[in-house]
Amino acid sequence: MSAAQVASLSPEAVTIEERSPFQIVMTRFRRHRLAMVSLVVMTVIFIITILAPVIAPFEVQELSVNKYFVEWGTVDEETQRVHYLGTDQIGRDYFSRLIYAGRISLTIAIVSVIISELVGIIVGAVSGFFGGWIDSVLMRFVEFMLTIPLLPLLLIISSMLLRNEELIPIPEPVLNFMGNLLLLTPRDARNAVLIILILAGFGWLNAAQLMRGMVLSLREQTFVEASRSLGASNYRIIMRDMIPNAMAPIIVDGSLGLAGFVVLEAALAFLGFGIQDPIPTWGNMLAASQEFMLDRPWLPLVPGLPIFLCSLAFNYIGDGLRDALDPRLKL
Amino acid sequence: MTAFFIRRIFQMILVVLVSAVATYALLNLAPGGPLAGLRQQQQSARFQITEEDIARIRAYFELDLFLPYRFTRWLIGVPTGPVVIGGNEYFSDLVVGCRKPIESDILNAETGNYEIVITGCKEDVFMKDLVGRRSSRGILLGDFGLSWRILRDRPVSDLLLSRLSKTLQLIGLSTLLSLLIGVPLGVYSAVRQYSRFDYIFTSLAFMGSAMPTFFFGLLMIILFSLVPKEAGWPYVPSGLSESVRDYTIPIIGAVEAGSFKDRSLHILLPTAVLTIVNISFYSRFVRASMLEVMRQDYVRTARAKGLGERVVILKHALRNALIPFITIVVFTLPGLFSGALITESIFAWPGMGRLYLLALGDFDYPVAMAIFFILAILTVIATLMRDFLYTIADPRIRLS
Repeated sequence: MSAAQVASLSPEAVTIEERSPFQIVMTRFRRHRLAMVSLVVMTVIFIITILAPVIAPFEVQELSVNKYFVEWGTVDEETQRVHYLGTDQIGRDYFSRLIYAGRISLTIAIVSVIISELVGIIVGAVSGFFGGWIDSVLMRFVEFMLTIPLLPLLLIISSMLLRNEELIPIPEPVLNFMGNLLLLTPRDARNAVLIILILAGFGWLNAAQLMRGMVLSLREQTFVEASRSLGASNYRIIMRDMIPNAMAPIIVDGSLGLAGFVVLEAALAFLGFGIQDPIPTWGNMLAASQEFMLDRPWLPLVPGLPIFLCSLAFNYIGDGLRDALDPRLKL
Repeated sequence: MTAFFIRRIFQMILVVLVSAVATYALLNLAPGGPLAGLRQQQQSARFQITEEDIARIRAYFELDLFLPYRFTRWLIGVPTGPVVIGGNEYFSDLVVGCRKPIESDILNAETGNYEIVITGCKEDVFMKDLVGRRSSRGILLGDFGLSWRILRDRPVSDLLLSRLSKTLQLIGLSTLLSLLIGVPLGVYSAVRQYSRFDYIFTSLAFMGSAMPTFFFGLLMIILFSLVPKEAGWPYVPSGLSESVRDYTIPIIGAVEAGSFKDRSLHILLPTAVLTIVNISFYSRFVRASMLEVMRQDYVRTARAKGLGERVVILKHALRNALIPFITIVVFTLPGLFSGALITESIFAWPGMGRLYLLALGDFDYPVAMAIFFILAILTVIATLMRDFLYTIADPRIRLS
């Protein structure tokens, strides 16, 4: 087609509608049907847990005396409130505890992911950008940490920290903030903050490696050279050129990390080294149900299914995001 | 090559030492520990525990020694007393610990609570006092010391050995099975990419890898043990590695406690859980790596020169696809030892993983540290083995 022919075509024939990168990614993400379903499911779960105080018919610690393991759907005679899923071994409403637990478990996972991705971005960017001995010290450390079997180490650390809660000083405002977020007293929130610290303390390693790899390849790109020749400072190059361009793997890693953290937090609580009983989490509710499953075989499904559902949904979302952002990405 | 391995071995030693120091510090720097419950008892009227008792208990746990001495005694078994050179004893009056610390309640101005703070020492422990004290030869020399709680005063190594075979059975069997099933599944799924089989299989494997082990284990117990038992169908016993008394299962018949039949029935469920989880993990990996290799030029060349599909897949593609898989398989070695913590705990399987949980929950630090230390060594060995196997599997990789 000659230039004259192209010029004679109407503008509609040669131009396509302009779309932002975000729109392109969203279109591709929508094509992943299971990821879309997962997104809807997770949104619903989020809304339920955010509205926990409104939806839950009972208080978290409210005991219905002499009503242990009542059937699901039982109505409380005095207040006419319904035990949608029955009560647990000491008469606490299962449904209410379940959604409060969801709030705690999901918040812990989300905050841990945010912290670990942030730390990973910073460490990875610094390590990849400056190279030299900083890079080799940081990366040897990361590699070393990644080879240690994670669960046994987490168990040691959390058993130590939870027994000596005062060991790590946590500023009062943080405790108050987390307490408000989780609807716990600041004292109980300390427990959750410690778990977040433990999870995030090991979660950043992967993100750091990913970020470093991206920075190493971006460092050689012409647009970075252009920035530098325009006199941009290191800080500006890292913040404006490196980090925005390396976000794709970090976002995918984050959404897969959510799945990992939900499961890991539940696993710690399940084994008795996570958040302890009066505070509900899916993990410790599952552990408690294990004791009574001989008589009530279906009991573990109640706290177990949400864990599985969240893990699956976050994995699908991560999968969909990877396909949408960069199909060649290996994570 | 030789230089590489020598350097790696030095790195290994360093890594093992660092992890030993780290675990030791982690478990011993924190307050509380084995004496946690003692203070409450001290105040109760019925059991008067005197200062002397506490000093004795502290000495039993070596808590009366300063941390560096405690650590070197644990690591390499020194010091065991004054240094004797040519008949003369040196350092015999060196203070190595405190037998009776002075504890005072001090008001913490910030929190308003009284805290117990050690302010001094009534009675020191000298180097010469260490003579005749029992001491391990050091964990580096293979002596893990004595258990504090689980099997009081028995060597930790006895405890570990008694659990080792159970873990080996469980993990060995499930690793073998998952390799035998997972690798062919992954290969087949890659070869038949986009087929119905591939579609179903990848979705199942995806769900399998998202499934938390603890929930999966409980599901298996519900589905294959509790529900069928209630319904009067044949069921699989769950929990422990063998039953305590004889029992009868419909159709299968009477089972004698401790017999081979009994033990194989008990190993069924935990093995199934570990195997299925591993299969979804292995086969996903093999499939991805197979797909990548199948796109390579040398596979096209092999096809172009007229080789059969079988030979192309098994000899040209699979062998190359398995190279990255080595990493994963080698790291089952430390996994073998830590023994699928969660699975063992769900099925009350008396293996290493459960022992580790028990030790951590029960303040039996020598046991917990021994297991973690061995784990660190195994991990390091696995890393070395991975590098070594890489060079054998793929001569293109040169280590330097």
